[in-house]
Amino acid sequence: MRAVIVKSLADLRRRRLQAGVIFVTVLFAMAAGTTALTLTSQTRDPYQIAFDKQKGAHLQVAFNAATDQKLLGNTPALIGASSFGGPYPASNIQFRFGDRKYFVDAVGRDNAGGAVEVLSITSGRWPLSNDEIVLTRSFSELNKISVGDRLKVTSVAQTPSLTVVGEAVDIDEGSADLSSQRAWMLPAALPALSTPDSSFYLMDYRFPSDPTSAQLQASIDRLKSGLPPGSVTGSLNYLLIRSIFNITNQILTGVLVAFSVFALAATVAIVATLVTGIVISAYREIGIMRAVGFTPFQVVEVFALQIVIPALAACLIGVPAGTLASQPLLANSSHALGLAYTPTFSIGLDLLFFFGGLLVVAVAAIVPALRAGLLKPIVAITKASVPRGAGGRLLRRAAAYVRFPRPVVLGIGDAFARPLRAILTLVTVLLGVATVVVAVGLPRSFELINNSETGAGNYQVVVIRSNAYPDSEVMRLLKAQPETARVVSIGGQNVIVPGVADPVNTHLFRGDSSRLGYMVVAGRWYTAPGEVVAPAALIRDAHLKIGDSFTGTANGQPLQLRLVGETYDINNLGHSLFMDIATMASVKPAVEPFLYDITLRPSSDVSSYVRRVATAQPDLLDVRASDTSLIAPVKIIDLVLLILAGILAFIGVGGVFNMLLLNTRERVRDTATLKALGMSPRQLIVMVGASAGLLALVGGVVAMPLGLSLHHVLNDAISSSAGNDTPPAAYGVFAAWELIVIPLGGVVVAVAAALIPGRWAARTNVVEVLHAE
Amino acid sequence: MTELIRLTDVTKVYQGGITGALNGVSLAVEKGEFTAIMGPSGSGKSTMLNLVAGLDRPTSGTVVVGGTDLGKLGEAGSARFRRDHIGFVFQFFYLLPNLTALENVLIPAQLKGGAATGRGRELLEQLGIKDVADRYPARLSGGQQQRVAIARALINNPTLLLADEPTGALDTQSGEQVMELLGGLHGGGQTILLVTHDAKLATRHAARVISVMDGKIVDDARLESPERAPSEVIRVRGEEATR
Repeated sequence: MRAVIVKSLADLRRRRLQAGVIFVTVLFAMAAGTTALTLTSQTRDPYQIAFDKQKGAHLQVAFNAATDQKLLGNTPALIGASSFGGPYPASNIQFRFGDRKYFVDAVGRDNAGGAVEVLSITSGRWPLSNDEIVLTRSFSELNKISVGDRLKVTSVAQTPSLTVVGEAVDIDEGSADLSSQRAWMLPAALPALSTPDSSFYLMDYRFPSDPTSAQLQASIDRLKSGLPPGSVTGSLNYLLIRSIFNITNQILTGVLVAFSVFALAATVAIVATLVTGIVISAYREIGIMRAVGFTPFQVVEVFALQIVIPALAACLIGVPAGTLASQPLLANSSHALGLAYTPTFSIGLDLLFFFGGLLVVAVAAIVPALRAGLLKPIVAITKASVPRGAGGRLLRRAAAYVRFPRPVVLGIGDAFARPLRAILTLVTVLLGVATVVVAVGLPRSFELINNSETGAGNYQVVVIRSNAYPDSEVMRLLKAQPETARVVSIGGQNVIVPGVADPVNTHLFRGDSSRLGYMVVAGRWYTAPGEVVAPAALIRDAHLKIGDSFTGTANGQPLQLRLVGETYDINNLGHSLFMDIATMASVKPAVEPFLYDITLRPSSDVSSYVRRVATAQPDLLDVRASDTSLIAPVKIIDLVLLILAGILAFIGVGGVFNMLLLNTRERVRDTATLKALGMSPRQLIVMVGASAGLLALVGGVVAMPLGLSLHHVLNDAISSSAGNDTPPAAYGVFAAWELIVIPLGGVVVAVAAALIPGRWAARTNVVEVLHAE
Repeated sequence: MTELIRLTDVTKVYQGGITGALNGVSLAVEKGEFTAIMGPSGSGKSTMLNLVAGLDRPTSGTVVVGGTDLGKLGEAGSARFRRDHIGFVFQFFYLLPNLTALENVLIPAQLKGGAATGRGRELLEQLGIKDVADRYPARLSGGQQQRVAIARALINNPTLLLADEPTGALDTQSGEQVMELLGGLHGGGQTILLVTHDAKLATRHAARVISVMDGKIVDDARLESPERAPSEVIRVRGEEATR
């Protein structure tokens, strides 16, 4: 064994650069894999821990403010809830802080505790008087509001001021960047802040065990049937909230798992190429080893150890590094849930991945090393290397036919002189380029979808009115502005859709909503009252297909609706309806728009428009430029994609570099001969570069369809996790010239990577090499 | 006759003087000569050939071939010089294994930017191996491989043909055939510088035999001249006792 180790270490020293390539590729693959594994295994835990600790509500239901409180008190028994909270009086209020205005659902509660939905106060205290309010920490952090700040309520004529006295984490709502938020006040404070159409009751229910989606729907159905029509105005269940909390980590986990598999596959290809190359170039050495007494198994050990040692070092660093890299994301989840962050990981899983990864690398090394072990000593000792045959001849001939210079012709032939090596190298190039395609494409798809959600380019200003300021006045004010080109007004009203557990948020448009930029996935945008458009999750849950008619219920009144198209909308994970406000004409009380998307005439100054309109009604209107920036989770996913693409591209370049290194070393005698025959250093570099360029070109061309397919699949997976189908436009984010430029970029990088082995080839000492022969 | 090669006080020291060297060698070879350099292993004969080919640089002294001071050429200049003026035949042929015989022959011409397929085939025919033009080196005998190597060396009509132990890896019969070929080329006016340790081979074909020992020229015999017979040269090499 000692001889094996001594020989392996000696070889390792001699092949330091190749050991370095193995170390770096295994390191990246293991780190990415461990990050994915840790996120996968630990993501559910923080939510579940917080949900149990804070006695989260399995079901939250909003009831019409006119509903008899006594009846509401009977509802827990009606649906078999084991504990409940409420009924809490609640009202949708608007307040102003600084020059911005916000909406929250203010809920009246005496304290933060209770049998359900225990609020975790993270700073400050619970309100002691009617002019105090507690906000969610998520909302406070997003909008930079602190304990002690004063908020001016603008949704009622008296415009009272409230003092923020605390921040709380509520397990029963999503984060502020993805969901509407609640705030808490003493119950006695609510009446002064409420208007008839903004008030409701909130009930929290908890069941003996975690209910399924179907069980939750059955509970809602029992509530609807057990109470007067229109009593149930909204509901929210823990499954949806859990999905909202976990969506970023889920998407990241999916992306990381996919790419860590890529990275490991590329590493296996590099290891197999490397060991094959070493065995080929060390034929005579193998013969000598066998001649001096190494057994076939020991020969295999020598070659495998040369790979396993740097791989072991990479695993020792990569697995802890991956675990560490996952912690900020897990800490972020814990923070959002109000949990104290403690490093979360599974030693068992880490060890499993550690040894699993090492095993994969070892197998990749042992299989080609078996060839060395099985070699007959006399054959090995009499041959300097494996003879090469006609590999690459066709390519050489084709290159010669098109009259490429001879060094290019030779280089092109060399690229495929060893077909297995070329194929393994192509795998690394392919994975690298495919990842780059995804990393370029997905952020563009995200941006496209984000633009449609935020109306980027379609409207520039958003106005939200207070209930105290009538719609007609807003329209008069907006139309009086010379820059106003178009106003689309939007109202909202929850609608009960058969088959869907929770009442569905609707977007009720007045004006030409087709020009707001919503993406139509299938069918068409609505054109008349009664027609509706919905995202995939709602269509699926309601078992609808485009063209179907169904009866919805708003405020207990039936509505005849017809589904004419599918759109993309991530709100409530794809549970919303889009229609003309006239569809609700028969519903009482009448629904009025509260939000206005304004398109300005070309060259208008958005800032001055915003200032002017805001000044007209500083308390009653929230006027702002349309915010088209990406939400934080998307930015995180974009960043992770960028890092992964960098890693995979690096591994791809490493694969090409590794192959060129092997080719150059293996062909050192040929190189010396060519130099002796008059090949100049520049011609030698061109020859090596041509090998690299061809491999990168072939890899890149094959990688484009793979990358585009992967882009397609990931788009679908991400859209699906947000309750949507991918809009066709999100697939086609590449210009035709980019499909050419990306593989060509790979060629440029590969040729650049070829410069080092090319220069080595150019510096070959002819005399030394040929003398050694 | 015109002088083609001139070595002036050439010294070559490898690795700080530890390994083989040339010690102040001066030599002139004229155009059209068939010169053999003889000597035992490590005597410096291959070093001399490498210096003349521009593959190596002298530690001191000058090497001028065809009026070009090789010490003043860079890497690219040396490559161009070899491509334009030198044909090199190696002991172990050094054919590129993944190219056919004809492709191997054409390489120097193609590096120069030409095609020369016709001349390549013509050379193979002259050397009696036109039938193996499309075969790979692994499928050729040693003699055939060396003929391909000679054809490759001649493809650019070199001013000087260098042959380093061209028969060293061949059986006697193939070796004789190769030497006959070189003799024929010399008959056609080709300047040849042959390195060999085989005195009999050298004296049979070369007109001039230079003996090198420990990095110095110890004998320089022009065999056409009446005062030096081949047998005398062999005695200088000390091989008589083994005969």
